[in-house]
Order: sequence, then structure tokens, then C-alpha cells
Amino acid sequence: MDFDWTEEQRDFRATVRAFLDDNLPPDWEELAHGPGSAVQTTFSKQFCGALAKAGLLVPHWPARWGGRDADPWASFILAEEMWAAGEPRGGQYMNVNWIGPTLMRFGSEEQQSRYIPPMAQGQTLWCQGFSEPEAGSDLASLRTRADQHGDVYRINGQKIWTSYAGHADTCFLLARTSQGKGGISIFLLPMDTPGITVRQIPSIIGEGDIHEVFFDDVEVPATAMLGEEGQAWTIVREALSLERVGIPRFALASRMLHRAVEVLKRENRFSHGAIDQAARAHAACEAARLGSYNIIDQRCHGQIPGPEASAARFGTVNAERLVAEFVVEHVPEALAGGDAMLQAHHQRAIVAGIASGAAEIQLNLIATELLELPREPR
Amino acid sequence: MDFTLTPDQAAVLDAIDRLGRQFEAKPTDFDGFALEGNELETELEDGGYFDIAAIPEMGPVTAALAVERLARSPYTAEVALSMLLRPQLGMDLPRPLAVVENGRPGRFVDRARTLLVIDGETIGIAHPDAEDLEPVESLYAYPMGRVTGALSVQALSAEQADLARTWIRVACAAEIAGLMQAAIDATVEHISVRKQFGRALGTFQALRHRMAECAVLAGGVRRLALKAAWSGEPGDAALAAFHAQDSAGKVNYDVHQMTGAMGMTLEMPLHLWTYRMKALLSELGGRGGQAAEVARHCFAGGSGDE
Ligand SMILES: Cc1cc2nc3c(=O)[nH]c(=O)nc-3n(C[C@H](O)[C@H](O)[C@H](O)COP(=O)(O)OP(=O)(O)OC[C@H]3O[C@@H](n4cnc5c(N)ncnc54)[C@H](O)[C@@H]3O)c2cc1C
Repeated sequence: MDFDWTEEQRDFRATVRAFLDDNLPPDWEELAHGPGSAVQTTFSKQFCGALAKAGLLVPHWPARWGGRDADPWASFILAEEMWAAGEPRGGQYMNVNWIGPTLMRFGSEEQQSRYIPPMAQGQTLWCQGFSEPEAGSDLASLRTRADQHGDVYRINGQKIWTSYAGHADTCFLLARTSQGKGGISIFLLPMDTPGITVRQIPSIIGEGDIHEVFFDDVEVPATAMLGEEGQAWTIVREALSLERVGIPRFALASRMLHRAVEVLKRENRFSHGAIDQAARAHAACEAARLGSYNIIDQRCHGQIPGPEASAARFGTVNAERLVAEFVVEHVPEALAGGDAMLQAHHQRAIVAGIASGAAEIQLNLIATELLELPREPR
Repeated sequence: MDFTLTPDQAAVLDAIDRLGRQFEAKPTDFDGFALEGNELETELEDGGYFDIAAIPEMGPVTAALAVERLARSPYTAEVALSMLLRPQLGMDLPRPLAVVENGRPGRFVDRARTLLVIDGETIGIAHPDAEDLEPVESLYAYPMGRVTGALSVQALSAEQADLARTWIRVACAAEIAGLMQAAIDATVEHISVRKQFGRALGTFQALRHRMAECAVLAGGVRRLALKAAWSGEPGDAALAAFHAQDSAGKVNYDVHQMTGAMGMTLEMPLHLWTYRMKALLSELGGRGGQAAEVARHCFAGGSGDE
């Protein structure tokens, strides 16, 4: 059992940091504000292009797709550094973490050669069309329909809370091809297909993040289906198992906690109540960090992370909450023009227990699968 | 970063686990507080397990894993300080070890051959005579004792005192990690079997979620304790002890709540773990004491990055 980094891992982290130092503009912290905004999206394309050229966009991908088969630690160190810097990759982190790998595993040759190279070059943005007005946590109840007419599918329905949809090139869309959980299929849908309307939803979390997306008789060729008809549930479960600890939220939370404490120390305000709360938040960040490392370690040893991934995710939700509360209580000016990055962190932290699945769903999974408690009656 | 055990570590922990399993059932006729594991202690002594931290292939992280595992037993013996602190100070410290903090009764003090006497900021070592010690009746499920006679205390240097505090914290966190897990396991078992309203209690989401939150905390306490044992850094140790003491409060409340009146009896062994945790809540100044150390070491400046 070893908690130390190898020299190679340390060097890799240093390389990523040096890249960030060289490539983030001086006003980056103001920019980092709206993760799906036009400005961010444009910046991200330039940034990810440079990352790709430096071999730092998809190091964990196979060489065939522009990577170098690096182990899961490399992608996680990369993710930690990116997230802690305010995620300059914008929505492209999804390509890197799970959309690319899912296409490699389930995509047709045509889909792979069309979609993977632009991801590996950092030049394309995707959105994830899962949630609907009536299907949030209960995703299997989604209603958006895809009806087959010869060799096309016609899509009708609505998605909601879709991040990055305003500027996305392609949607990873779930739609119903028949009844029941086994009746959901995945379509890779270009966002400029006629019949798609996108509306941004004003929110607390910043410009350009969440959207409504409407589909009116949107026609896609049958070849746009990923995998087989009705295979969505299997594919998504596997894809999202990569995502449960996909965002190392504790890395930014920890950095922001330290930033807030520095403010208090400078102003001679780091005393009892604040010290206790800072210790609590710091412990939560470090517990979340080690919980996530545990999952990455399992992946490195070829294990498929089980319910401990849900525990790691919930630990991260705790950490986000405690840091966000600490800042609001002790450095309130941060959310009133005082510190753009502390504010951007707050806007990200408040969704930690909702985006990519409610925290309570993770607690259900922990109870059933980790503690092996008897199931709730349905 | 690699969380797998080496074959040597795995072999030792396997042996400890087998030993733990011999002592995993509370005797049905025991209805007291401190269930003493004298036989367990002899086995550990005979197997040379108290010295595993000093073996280079094992190190303190293996000792912390052993402490965590043994703390899950309903039987208790002075394990944590012996395994984790004793090898660190570079002096001969006959075991059992015990801490006397500001004159208060402490666990294993009645039988200690080495006392760490904490008086405000200073720490000293004493080797008491048996007649200067006496047992104390208590709710805490450890054998408790106090000092009755005058001690001859040899003060530690400031560095040694810091080192002692660090390893007392690691020991505290590793022990709480095991106690917490055992309390959770016992409660999960109880609410999986106990039926009310025609269903097992464990099917009610209100309880499932709280148990799941306890499990998340316990995992965090365990990993922070192991990391602290691995690094020996004072900041890591303070953070682990803080998180352990902080989480123990919530877990203790939840497990007693969910086991109802049964958990209040001395028949159910739950109190053996929860009251041991309570005994550890005040160690080294409790949460406030650990938080001050976290502030000193973890917020000394810098970004907090890896
Ligand atoms: C910032 C942000 C970005 C998002 N981006 C995307 C995206 O790109 N694509 C996409 O498809 N979706 C996205 N989502 C949607 C997200 O996946 C859903 O919000 C999430 O799955 C929860 O669904 P809901 O909001 O409808 O909440 P609901 O399902 O209505 O649940 C509300 C609350 O009820 C509780 N609850 C629900 N079910 C249970 C249960 N079984 N047991 C106990 N408690 C329960 C939980 O506390 C939950 O938070 C995003 C959301 C946010 C906030």
C-alpha cells in the first residue's frame, strides 16, 4: 500500500501544470465563469487544440485514436489539474472521459472515423440528451420517441437541462424505440439537423450551461444509432460508471478552500469557528480525494468499480457542500464581485449533488449494493 | 499511488484477520462494559504482532490496518498505541501504553507500564508502579484507570512531544475507523432482520440513506487514517483524527437510533464499539484540538494541491 506518486506521475502532473501556466490567459478566471458560454466554447476549442498538439488531451486513449494508452492515473491527474484550474476544456471533458471511449467500444466503423478524430483534436463539442421534463432521476421513463420509417428514424420530443446544447455539434441522445427499459436506443445526432430547437435556461449556475432542446420530426438515418436498438441501458450504464468519479470536484473545492482561508488569514479573521469549519471541509475534500483514488486504483488493477464509486461520488458531494458553505459564511464578498473564481466554484459546487444524477440515488445504491441492506419495496 | 497490499502485508493481515475471527462473538453471559481481550493480547504478543510497524516490509500502514481490524472485535486490548506509537519514539517503552491527559482517567491506565502524561503543551513519559494505579468504573467500554500516586515523569523534548502527538492521533483515527465499521455492521445486520410495519427496517429509505452516509464517512475515516500512518505527517494525522472524531458523533447517534431499545441493552454488543468511540472523542483536545493542528499544518500557506 503506497500513497506516493511515481516519478513519472509527478512529472506528468508538472507537465500539465506547466501547460496550464503557458496557455491560460491572464483573464482566465473571469472567462471560467460560464462553462457553456460562447466565449468559453471558442476558448476551449483553441485550448483543447493546443492540448491535443502537446499530447495532453487524450493520453489514456489507444494509440489508434491519438492517445498513448496511458493508465487511468494519467487521465485522472489530468482531470484533477483541469478541474482545479476551472476546467478550460469546457464541455469537451465529456468527449475525453466517456463519449470517445463509448464510441470506441460500441460505435460502427463509420461512426468512429467520423466522430473520434475531431474529439482527439479538441475541435468538437457534444451534449448529453438524457433528461426530460418528466424523466429526471427516473430516466427509464423518458418519452422522446424515435420511430422508424424505412432507413430513417423520425425523432419527436423534448430534452431538458442539456448542458452545452447551445454550441454543441452533436448530441448523444436517448430516445424510445419501443416500450419499457429495454426500448431505449442511442442516436448520435448532429445538432444542425432540421427540426431541432435549443433554448437556454437562465440559471444560478452561469451563462450557457443548461438548455431545453425540442425535436420536431427530426430525421436521422438508421446508421446514426449507436449499438443496437434497445441497447441504450447497457451502454449508458457502462459509460456512466466511468463518469461517477469522472469530475474530480474535490480538486477545485480544496484549492478554493485554501484560497478562502488565505483571505481570512490576511485579514486576521482565521479564528475558532472558521478553523473548525475549515478543518471539516478540508477533511471532506481529502476523504473524497482518497475515495476517488481508490476507484482509479481499482480500475488500474483491471477491476470494474462497484458501489464504492457511489460512495466516492457522495463523499465528493459532501466536500463541495462544506467548501461552498465555508466561503458563503466566511468570505461572503466572494459572491458579490469579490473573487470571480470563488464565485465560479460556488456555481459549480451547488449542482454537485444533482448534475449527473441525484446524490440520493447514489445513497440508494450504497445501501443496496455496499451495505447489502434489503431493497425498498417498489 | 497503489492501494493493493504487498504479499507480505496481505499475509500478516490475513493472520490478524484469522485471529480477529476467533474473538468476534461476545460471550452470551457477558453484560458489562469493558470486555477485556486478555487472550487476544497474549496471542498478539506471542505472534510478535505488536512490532510489525518496525519491520520495513510492513511499516506503520500495516500496523494501522491491523489496529483497524482488531478494533472491530468486541474484545479490547491495548493495541493501537503499542503498534503505532511505541516504535516511533526511539526508546524502550514496555507495553501496555496509556495516555493520561490533564489528570483525567484514561483507557488501560490501570494496567499501563508506560504512561504518556499530557499536561497542557508538555508530554512526559512515566513508568508507574502498579500500586500507583487503580481501575475506574465507567461507561466507556475500555478498562479505565487513573493514577493515584506520585509519578516520576521524564519530559519529552518538543520534537518528541510533537511526534508523540502525531502518532497518538494516528492511533486514535485507526481505532475509530475499526470501531465505526463494527458499529455500522452490527446495525446493518439488525435493521436487515428486525421487522416493523410488515417490512424489514432496512427497507425504509429514511434509514437506508443515513446508513449509507455513515458508510461514506467510515470509508473516509479509514483512508485518512491509513494515509496518515503511511506518511507520518502531523497535518495528515490531525486531519485523520479530526475526521474520525467528527464522524464518530454522527455515526454513534445514528446506530443507536436505528437499533432502538435493543441497542440500549448490554446484551447487544453495540455499546462496546460506540462507547469506545465516545472514549476517543476527547483525545488530544477533541475536534477543536485537532482543528487547531489542521490549521497549523494544512493551512500554512499554499494552494492545498497534491
Ligand atoms: C448543472 C446541471 C447540468 C445538467 N446537465 C445535464 C445534461 O447535460 N444532460 C442531461 O441529460 N441532464 C443533465 N442534467 C440533469 C440531471 O441529470 C438531473 O437533474 C438529475 O438526473 C436529477 O433529475 P431531476 O432534476 O429531474 O430531479 P428529480 O428526479 O425530480 O429529483 C429531485 C430530487 O428528488 C430526490 N429524489 C429523486 N428520486 C429519488 C429516489 N428514488 N429516492 C430518493 N430521493 C429521490 C433527489 O433529492 C432529487 O435531487 C443536468 C442538471 C444540472 C443541475
